[in-house]
Amino acid sequence: MKFKDKHRFVRSNMKKNRTRVWMTILASTIGCAFLIMLASVGFAIHKTAIDDVMSYRMMNEIQIQKENSMLEENDVKKLEQIKGVKAVTRKKYTPANQLSIDEYNTYADVKSAHMPSEEKAGFELEKGRLPQSKNEIVIGYHFAENLRKDAPKNFLEGLSEEEAQKKMKELSYKGDLLNKTITYHMKTDNQNVKVDEQAKTLEVKIVGIGKKPTKEWAMDNYVFITEDLYKEVFSILGEQDPELEAAENNYSEVNVYTASADEVKAVSEKIEKLDYLTYSVVSELKELNIYFTLFKAGLIFIGAIAVLIASIGIFNTMTMAVTERSQDIGIMKAIGATPKTIKRIFLLESGYIGLWGVGLGTILAYVISYGVNFALPIIIEQFINEKPPEDFILSYIPWSLTVISVTICMGVTLLSGWRPAAKATTVDVLKALRRDV
Amino acid sequence: MISVSNLSYAFKIGKKDKENVVPVLHDVHLHVAKGEIVAIVGRSGSGKSTLLNLISGFIRPEIGEITIGGTKVSGLTESKWAEFRLNHLGFIFQSFQLIPSMTAYENVEFPLVLKGVNEKDRKEKTLEMLKRVGLEPYQNHYPGELSGGQQQRVSIARALVLNPPLILADEPTGSLDSENERELLNFIKELNEDYGITFLMITHDHEVASIAHRKVEIVDGYLKEGRMLHEVQR
Repeated sequence: MKFKDKHRFVRSNMKKNRTRVWMTILASTIGCAFLIMLASVGFAIHKTAIDDVMSYRMMNEIQIQKENSMLEENDVKKLEQIKGVKAVTRKKYTPANQLSIDEYNTYADVKSAHMPSEEKAGFELEKGRLPQSKNEIVIGYHFAENLRKDAPKNFLEGLSEEEAQKKMKELSYKGDLLNKTITYHMKTDNQNVKVDEQAKTLEVKIVGIGKKPTKEWAMDNYVFITEDLYKEVFSILGEQDPELEAAENNYSEVNVYTASADEVKAVSEKIEKLDYLTYSVVSELKELNIYFTLFKAGLIFIGAIAVLIASIGIFNTMTMAVTERSQDIGIMKAIGATPKTIKRIFLLESGYIGLWGVGLGTILAYVISYGVNFALPIIIEQFINEKPPEDFILSYIPWSLTVISVTICMGVTLLSGWRPAAKATTVDVLKALRRDV
Repeated sequence: MISVSNLSYAFKIGKKDKENVVPVLHDVHLHVAKGEIVAIVGRSGSGKSTLLNLISGFIRPEIGEITIGGTKVSGLTESKWAEFRLNHLGFIFQSFQLIPSMTAYENVEFPLVLKGVNEKDRKEKTLEMLKRVGLEPYQNHYPGELSGGQQQRVSIARALVLNPPLILADEPTGSLDSENERELLNFIKELNEDYGITFLMITHDHEVASIAHRKVEIVDGYLKEGRMLHEVQR
């Protein structure tokens, strides 16, 4: 019997019991949609967590530290020799952090940076370029916002936190800082050291502004100065605080960059062999992935119970179909239908029920998922009066989840149809012909 | 065409460890030649239906051997038996055994569907068979919408659609009135004479047995020697 004829035969049988078949399809649809939706919550939380981790750091970045001591130039040289290392960026904390322009003033996170390495590592700028001469600097995206006039007395009185933040923006520098020269105050941030009010200042030129951070709430208020400027700053500050001299060669931050994320693991292992401590997104993601894989597997398992319940419906429908059609099966066998043909006809029927259920269930899950993600932030805002975290999604259905769910649903469907189909092959011809079954 | 030798059969009734064995057939030997019409007659419970069911492969013999058209069928598996039935045998049943959810056309077409014949040839052969049994105008009727005689003709069309060399008939006129019975018997004779189809029929109707070339009687599971048509007629 050709597949086309089996299909036609099965379709006509399904049409005869339309209501029963559709009810079974409905049960499969709900089971499948429930499985996908439940698991999609796990996938969404996993995705949010990964996006969150990756939004802070780059995938090909490895943070380096040394146990019990700070990293110095010879460490950087060693790291640069390792095969697979694209760039080693190093920054030194600079204890003078006050900068000003006209009546605007700020205290920023000032660090020296090795500009060629930063360029190699792919440092991204919103505008401008990286420093090329000693007194050139790069500022963070929010530097201008933090560059403020002194607030008048009682300026924020009676305001809520949110209102105060808005009000403070009125004091921020409004113009474009690119290519502006600003004053860098040579005052150490060590509060134990008393510095003369008329401390020395250096004029520095802003040649680049860092890229806007991916997170809206993130504030980039850094200032990167050149290593040459750092030396000059240190010699000036050293006069104010002699203890600083010991820290001059210490790097506060050393990061290794590989050409691609795939190389991070191998390079990390090499670095660890040299007795350095490493930390990368990849290693964090590895732990995160293990935890979330177990979590998702648990959700899929619970969702699969719904599919199992739906499969009982398929089993019942198919068993009834076999019982009702026992006489027809007997006649078919008497004429010359092989057990294999009969089994395939019934498996095809349960397969179609499953296929419809899985198809509709998947579509339904996607619709619900879209609806939930669309409506949830609105509901939260309406009822709790709070904004949900940015990029927050409650449901995420990747193609892998669809494949897993379709496989589970179809597998369970075929298994539940298997026994009735096998039963159909055992129908006794004589009993069937005697209308005795 | 059919060769049955040393065939014995017993029904086992009851649970496995406490089953009663009821012997039905004893050491049956039967030979049916190609082109013959053979009627198996006997009283109810004599074993004639069991013999036909064994030859049809609906039940399996434990002792003895059955050969049809040179193929030893008594040892075939269920699947092979089904294939053999489809390719070599046609069936006419007392209660027609049409699939009620299929139209007359679909019932006749079904053996062709099982065999995997393409749609165009199927249509041609099915319509030809329905025309031959005079039911072309009723092709879209369901069995429930046809008279007993018409249903039996559909059943015959289905039995003949694959041109089997042998037709096994179990009380073929059992559910028909005398007019339809006469019509059916003439048709069987015609098929036998025109196409050389072999018929093995079970009947207790003398009218039916009268068209047979040979009548074989079963008494209490034992096959009596067959008599030729002229002897039966006499």
